[in-house]
Amino acid sequence: MAATLRLMFPWIALCGMLAAGVWAFSFQSLPPADFTFANSTEIESTDPAIVTGAPEGRVIYSIYEALLGFDPETLEASTEFGVAESWEVSDDLTVYTFKLRDEACWTNGETTAPIIAEDFAWSWMRMLHPETAAQYAYQLYYIKNASKFNTGQVEVGDPVEVELYDRPIPTQTFPRGTILHGECVSIETQENSEDAIYTIQTDEGEKRFIKNENPSEGVTAARNILFDFQHVGVKALNEKTLEITLNYPTPFFPKLMAFYPLSPVNRESIEKHGYPGFTKPENLVNNGPYRISFRRLRDRIRLVKNKHYWRRDKVELEIVDILAVENTQTSLNLYLTGELDWSPDVPVTMIPTLLERYQDLEYKAFNPQPFLGCYYYMLNTTHEALQKEKVRRALNLALNKEEIVSRITGAGEVAAYSYVPPGIAGYERAFCEQYNPEKAKELLAEAGYPNAQGFPVIEIMYNTHEAHRSIAETIQAQWKRTLGINVRLANQEWGSYLDTRRNLEYNVARAAWIGDYVDPNTFLDMFVTDGENNQTGWSNKQYDQYIEEATREKDAKKRMEILHQAEILLMKEMPIIPIYYYVDKNIVQPYVTGFYRNLQDVHPVQFLGIDKEKKARFTNSEIR
Amino acid sequence: MPSEINKEPSINSKGARWDRLPDTYNYEDLLGEAKKYKGVSLSQDAWKRLKKNKAAMAALSFLILISILAILTPFLPFQSPRNTQTELQFQGPQFSILSDQGLGLATLSGTAYEQRLDLLFGDKNAFDRMLIAGRVNLFGDACFASWCGRDELGRDVLARLFWGARVSLLVGLVAALVSLIIGVTYGAISGYQGGMIDNLMMRFVDVLYSVPFFFVVIFIITILNAPDIKSFMIENGIDRILIFFLVIGLVYWLTMARVVRGQILSLKEQQFIEAARTIGAGNTRIIFKHLIPNVFSIVIVYLTLTIPQVMLFEAFLSFLGLGVEPPDVSWGMLANDGVRAISPLKIYWWLVVYPGLMLAATLFALNFLGDGLRDALDPRMKNRS
Amino acid sequence: MTQFILRRLVWMALTLWAVFTISFILMKSVPGGPYSSERALSPEIQKNFEARYGLDKPLIEQYFDQLTYAITFDLGMSTRLKDFTVNEVIAQGLPISATLGVIALSFALILGLTTGVLSALGRGTFTDVFFMSIATVGIAIPNFVIASITIILFVFLWQLFPAAGWGSASHLILPAFALGAPYAAYIARLTRTGMLEVLSQDYIRTARAKGLPTYQVVYRHALQGAILPVVSYLGPAIAGVLTGSVVIERIFSIPGLGSHFIDAALQRDYTLAMSLVLVYTTLLYTMNFLVDLSYTFLDPRVKIPS
Repeated sequence: MAATLRLMFPWIALCGMLAAGVWAFSFQSLPPADFTFANSTEIESTDPAIVTGAPEGRVIYSIYEALLGFDPETLEASTEFGVAESWEVSDDLTVYTFKLRDEACWTNGETTAPIIAEDFAWSWMRMLHPETAAQYAYQLYYIKNASKFNTGQVEVGDPVEVELYDRPIPTQTFPRGTILHGECVSIETQENSEDAIYTIQTDEGEKRFIKNENPSEGVTAARNILFDFQHVGVKALNEKTLEITLNYPTPFFPKLMAFYPLSPVNRESIEKHGYPGFTKPENLVNNGPYRISFRRLRDRIRLVKNKHYWRRDKVELEIVDILAVENTQTSLNLYLTGELDWSPDVPVTMIPTLLERYQDLEYKAFNPQPFLGCYYYMLNTTHEALQKEKVRRALNLALNKEEIVSRITGAGEVAAYSYVPPGIAGYERAFCEQYNPEKAKELLAEAGYPNAQGFPVIEIMYNTHEAHRSIAETIQAQWKRTLGINVRLANQEWGSYLDTRRNLEYNVARAAWIGDYVDPNTFLDMFVTDGENNQTGWSNKQYDQYIEEATREKDAKKRMEILHQAEILLMKEMPIIPIYYYVDKNIVQPYVTGFYRNLQDVHPVQFLGIDKEKKARFTNSEIR
Repeated sequence: MPSEINKEPSINSKGARWDRLPDTYNYEDLLGEAKKYKGVSLSQDAWKRLKKNKAAMAALSFLILISILAILTPFLPFQSPRNTQTELQFQGPQFSILSDQGLGLATLSGTAYEQRLDLLFGDKNAFDRMLIAGRVNLFGDACFASWCGRDELGRDVLARLFWGARVSLLVGLVAALVSLIIGVTYGAISGYQGGMIDNLMMRFVDVLYSVPFFFVVIFIITILNAPDIKSFMIENGIDRILIFFLVIGLVYWLTMARVVRGQILSLKEQQFIEAARTIGAGNTRIIFKHLIPNVFSIVIVYLTLTIPQVMLFEAFLSFLGLGVEPPDVSWGMLANDGVRAISPLKIYWWLVVYPGLMLAATLFALNFLGDGLRDALDPRMKNRS
Repeated sequence: MTQFILRRLVWMALTLWAVFTISFILMKSVPGGPYSSERALSPEIQKNFEARYGLDKPLIEQYFDQLTYAITFDLGMSTRLKDFTVNEVIAQGLPISATLGVIALSFALILGLTTGVLSALGRGTFTDVFFMSIATVGIAIPNFVIASITIILFVFLWQLFPAAGWGSASHLILPAFALGAPYAAYIARLTRTGMLEVLSQDYIRTARAKGLPTYQVVYRHALQGAILPVVSYLGPAIAGVLTGSVVIERIFSIPGLGSHFIDAALQRDYTLAMSLVLVYTTLLYTMNFLVDLSYTFLDPRVKIPS
């Protein structure tokens, strides 16, 4: 036997190849899609409540519809698109009343069901529920008591809801077990247990509860003890009317209502299939312009038009493929061979070539426009040298940002001298000082380091990525040249980098911020003392006060003025050095219609279309 | 102990045949006669034969030359490998001999010289500073033109290739040594001992193979970044590069160990090993004197195959944040940068061709040398022409 | 024989356990978590997240939880690809990586063995130098460069193949080539060395002396001995190739396991990363076991330990 086996060895290889080949040839080819775009990465989930990234947004905007929609060109929140057909706001700007349209409906592909106001209340309850662990839960914190419900804090005197240990499906959060409502009378902490005993006045009298499966005698086991959601500012007044009460006047609230994480989800489907069962294409019940036909990990999500969507007549594309292409060179290759109609990113090294390529053509397939994002360096203000304001200013003055945007990033990024990017209507930005080598040296000397003598070696930390390295190397060289200080570079992979940043174990770190909504607040409120995203150790009472005042201010103009004051302070003390404002890097086939390069770089598929005649022309021509 | 040996019966059932030797046999004469011949050691013999192999000698000279050039890089009139000149970004290769811009070091002295030096070459050790000073004395500010073009930040690729050679050749050498010393010994012992010991040793290799390397590296980096360790390292002069070499060593002996073990498993059953055992050679002697020389050919092929891989692997370590710190450079980083410059739209060919050529040339040389060494070291060829 | 296999199975369980434990410790001591993102979470939201995925439990408890999962083959939910269980991720990715890997390796074997044998037979001739030079270049050039060049040549210059993607046989050819080329070069060199070694041995001379035709000598006698180093090398190579190559998968946008692994590690998807480590270990161990077994088939002198 051994001898024959030995002789067979080369043949085994051949057979393996043939078998794999036959298997490969047996793949069924898919019918082509009308429109295909690259989505940078495999998305985390199709559950709107738990996702955060732009790639997820592209999918969620296609399959769900939020309370409001937005105009793809101006980004103004509008009732022309969303589930609500009109809204009113109280005089003190804190109570919004939305009226839902009758045509909007849920569908499982076959049958439909109307969307009611309660759906929104339930969906947001689910999003805010601690067990859902929604990272974007804070987007709802503007609503009265929402943060209390989400964080699970309960104080004596609060209305509370107690969920008993009787869930129909123990591994699922929804459907929930029996809910008892009442008022918290007292909270006793125990010596030998983390769990406190809550005494709650319910309809059946006072009862003691503990958040623990195995309570001692006389105490009832509770799955959750939370602030009562009935007292959170979301109320379905009737089937079609939703009332939302806010903590403070929040001028950007309507825009937030068009934001994808706040899309409603179908309660019935979730309670039946649970999570993640309800996200499977065969179980999906949704209300958006498209439905998922199938989803292959790291390959594609195929969308087909939802024939029950109320705006279906305005949705042009029937079949859409969303490819999870991670490599930008790959997506560019696919674009150039005509297999992609839109790619949201291009390789950095190819930007000059692409710009040149479309320079003289009537259409601009690649035409970067600014959007709401800022690339900046954070300075650790607890560092021995960087804690001096003059040093931080000197570092900024010594930076030639024009060199970076013209040579390194090269897509028409604008050098940043303010933290808030331009383009927000009604807001006047505050600027930091411009490139000035002489003054930079002076300031460094004034700070006690004449000619950089005694200045410690500082380290620029960045996450591993081609462009970040080039920028860091350029800045390293600039600081060396102008100030004569020694700078080291340290790259870390993503997880470690974020951790180092959060623990303030860096000197100088790369960072970036993309606005969640079109308002300066999304940039400025992060630098309050101990803000999670502050991460510079910087703290300024006056600044905190400005942000607080702006939150409460009713008058839009005054509010912008207060925020402007805050930015002046930020740009004076410089815990961060803004470097450039982002531009979008979309490359879009010339025959795609309805694509607007807007401030937030969002492009819901339902507004896109294809000019067939133009497409035929371009497929035959050489240049795409 | 090898219990599986079951060829011709009783060769090594000790003493059986020796008994039959006549008592009268005169050993003294025999030994005396044997002593008259002067043994030629394997290495001398091998060197003699290697010298005759022209290709191998050319390869060896090339490797020595490039190593010397790498060591002497600061002395040679290259441009600065780290000074960024973004206005010259992606400039193609130039064909003049000298660059039109000089170093700007020759006329400087004192702190101005120090600062300029620091800007152009970074913080260097005494040896390199001496070389640079020598270069400035000899060549002044003159430097070679950018024969190999410039990269994204306008740095001279030629200079970067040579400065990168310093890191990459060293990385290759370290990996080769580690896999040679640890890998070969480990594999030989495991294969020779067989049984339980072999099993244990090989399972240990399996475990090391499977533990995700990614986490090992990040783990090491995390430890290195801890403030106590950081200050300890600075006090004791331990460089991160040293750790980086250790990590490389940690990985690159595994395959070697497996391959050597496979060969030894087969070799140890051959007659010459039994013969050695018969005349009472100890295990250590058998392994190092008889078995290992016989696996050298395959070992050398593996080494020549491993070295270029290590040089590229080094770029992956840089990705995780261990290893070469920009603006320092290595061939692996150059190759990675080169690949970004290939696109159907535009190819900055010099960024991929020159690092590729350097890697390929080194590898070719290693291969020819390896082939030559293989022939030279083959015990069966001993004392033949 | 049965005993041998049984014993190896026990060893395998031990190896898996050791790998599992070491990986678990490493993974947990590395900074970051599955919730890491540019937008830092408030402590409360992070707490909710940790509770949901059981990351708030004591480490030792997490360890035993995970170990139980692994033993029962229910590998849990992925913490990053949240809609999928780890089993689903592997079930989708493994066949794809395996198909690509098998084709690439078969191609590498056929090409490598043929050129290796031809080079050895014609030692020093033009054929030898030619093949070995190509093999050397194949090893020196990283596979991502080969991939980029083949794309420019066969996608853009001659429009023969699609640029990237998965779903038809034409999608397979370029990635299989780019993936297999360095292996082919490796195998060619190893085969040549092995052949040269064997060809100088007495039994080959005997075979030739008997008047056997060259192909018979090579195929029936020499190749079997010469193939040993190739086989040693193949064990880890197969395991590596079957679990996917990150670089090739990225460049050709192939939904295999390689990208999953590197992403799971980068994004601290503990369950997925752990499971992929186990899959890889199992494959590697099995392959090495087969390699050890094949020694005895390929080389009559090696005996299976009883």
